[in-house]
Amino acid sequence: MAKAERFVEADNAEAIITRIEHKSRKIESLLKQYKPVEALKTALEGTYAMTGDERCKSAHWIVVHRAIMAIKDVDGMLSSLDPEYYDILMKYLYRGLATGDRPTCDQCLRIHEKLTEKAGLGCILRFLTDTVNTV
Amino acid sequence: MSSTRRGNHHHHHQSPMASTLRPYLTCIRNTLDAAMCLQNFPCQEVERHNKPEVELKSSPELLLNPVLICRNEAEKCLIETSINSLRISLKVKQADELENILTKKFLRFLSMRAEAFQVLRRKPVQGYDISFLITNYHCEEMQKHKLIDFIDIDKEISELKMSVNTRGRLVATEFLKQFI
Repeated sequence: MAKAERFVEADNAEAIITRIEHKSRKIESLLKQYKPVEALKTALEGTYAMTGDERCKSAHWIVVHRAIMAIKDVDGMLSSLDPEYYDILMKYLYRGLATGDRPTCDQCLRIHEKLTEKAGLGCILRFLTDTVNTV
Repeated sequence: MSSTRRGNHHHHHQSPMASTLRPYLTCIRNTLDAAMCLQNFPCQEVERHNKPEVELKSSPELLLNPVLICRNEAEKCLIETSINSLRISLKVKQADELENILTKKFLRFLSMRAEAFQVLRRKPVQGYDISFLITNYHCEEMQKHKLIDFIDIDKEISELKMSVNTRGRLVATEFLKQFI
């Protein structure tokens, strides 16, 4: 996306939702090809993840959640995931942990432990202190 | 509940139910470790805010993202952080073996930081079984320091430290006894 990010207004939300739907199709395709790490990267990338209203954020969460739940080899995923994704992944893990849904919490707890080992407490600290860019 | 084992290690000697307890406690511990780093602010900032902001919520800019860590539908931990205080609330399964493990481990974790914490809150936050309020003790120490100019300050502070540690442990122990 070469366009500069604009302040989101109601009609821009539609554009974001459309992009998320496009992303969702791409992720489904990658999962069918047994590429869960690629799927997760696709889900996590794009700064617009944190823009938009609650509807956009929910739509984005659904897509990321799908990718997170498809991960079977957590160690493998973390060794191939670029560190630039650690912070955004951490934010989504906490969103997952807040749902109370047992399988989601189970998966997010597993990944959280390993991600913290890899990324350090700073990753959690950045999540705690960033009250602006929320997912 | 799915009992499919994922990941590379198996928790032998543990039932499937217990297999998420360790990651749950680890997550809480890691999150608290990070949140407590934030408690070591320079005291000149904290002295202006000497009431626990997490309780008062008087200035939104002093509050950080609250964190809810659920193990499942019935067990969760809420961590609320502010510039000078941190509140942890736990909801545990009632009359459950695991609850003892959780509260004992938790108490041990907090006791390791006995110098820096006071257990002040006795009434749990709504929806939870137990809440701890943690304030930055060292900054409180500095406040007392200002009030008692002409007394032997070192002696006063070490006595204060002793009583807070003892009181903190007593309060925590008494409170948690009801769960055992």
